[in-house]
Amino acid sequence: MTTTLIIAQAASDTVGIVGGTGARALIVGLLTGIVFGAILQRVGASSFEMIVNMLQLKDLTVMKFFFLAVAIGSLGIYTLDSVGTAHIGIAPLYLLGITVGGLIFGVGWAVSGYCPGTSLVAMGEGKIDAAITVFGGLVGALVLALTWDWIKPLLVDPLNFNANLPDVLGVKPLLVAVVLTTAIVAFVMYLDRFDAGRKPAARGSTGETPGPATRS
Amino acid sequence: MLGLLNTFAVATYGALGASRNYVAVDGFLLRLFGSSLTSTNSYLSGMPSQADWLLMVGLGMIVGGFLAALITGTLNTRAVPRLWASRFGASKPKRFAAAFAGGFLMLFGARIAGGCTSGLVLSGAAQLSIAGFLFGASIFATAMPTARFLYRKKAS
Repeated sequence: MTTTLIIAQAASDTVGIVGGTGARALIVGLLTGIVFGAILQRVGASSFEMIVNMLQLKDLTVMKFFFLAVAIGSLGIYTLDSVGTAHIGIAPLYLLGITVGGLIFGVGWAVSGYCPGTSLVAMGEGKIDAAITVFGGLVGALVLALTWDWIKPLLVDPLNFNANLPDVLGVKPLLVAVVLTTAIVAFVMYLDRFDAGRKPAARGSTGETPGPATRS
Repeated sequence: MLGLLNTFAVATYGALGASRNYVAVDGFLLRLFGSSLTSTNSYLSGMPSQADWLLMVGLGMIVGGFLAALITGTLNTRAVPRLWASRFGASKPKRFAAAFAGGFLMLFGARIAGGCTSGLVLSGAAQLSIAGFLFGASIFATAMPTARFLYRKKAS
């Protein structure tokens, strides 16, 4: 754990630079982003309909995809970590800020139908409302920056822990990753059956055909 | 596939994330307009003054969305999603106001929490951070009822 924390600090230094500013870092970053954006576009995560239908539990495609991505990511990351090559940076756990921030985020997510990442992808696809969401995001982030000195002592400083699941449980991270992955795969398989059972009903009630045709 | 990409990112430079770039771009824009806020504001002063790996990931996401849509013939310049139009009408200003408000709330919330769906849930939870799981639960706690309230089909 100590080695990974040192690597994490090197990866994001004090002036807020994440992953370095060298030419190689920039090029790999751009390529990583292109693949990330293309995957999100293909899976439908940048579609307003797919997100809204997911939130109403009518179409769980994106949700299942994300669960599996977390599972595979955690297996991959902690396999790398056990070899000692991962840039792991555990997010600080401040209960109040993360809960309040998440609750505010959720409303915005449902209203816009995009998240901060997928709105970028959707903007690339040409969707104009997504570009407006990005603009709203820039303003929202600016307002947060301007009010940070009030918000921080209220929501971020109190109840601030720095721990991940393996630390709290006191077991090897890779073991937790394996258990988590198994649980997620089982859950996604369950959702699959749930989805298969639900889809005809959802189709009947909305009068829409599922799949690409419902995306706009 | 996304899981593998996430693993690749953590193996090379760091975890994927989107929301920090909004503050970074705010910082760049303020600097461009000669504002001193980037040095006086406690939050903005912590942002990078030059392009870094994560910023390029954000830029790449726009390009990736464009390329994937171009190649598969799904480029789409619509302003109002069909599902939105079926519930609230085809008015562009109405949809734009909602899209703006949604983006505003998301980034305001995400920056309080320290990340968004990519940084805290996708990457955070994969790194087994409790913050990631807590944030994931919180966003669904309000997003699901809000979506249900907003987009529920009127009984017909």
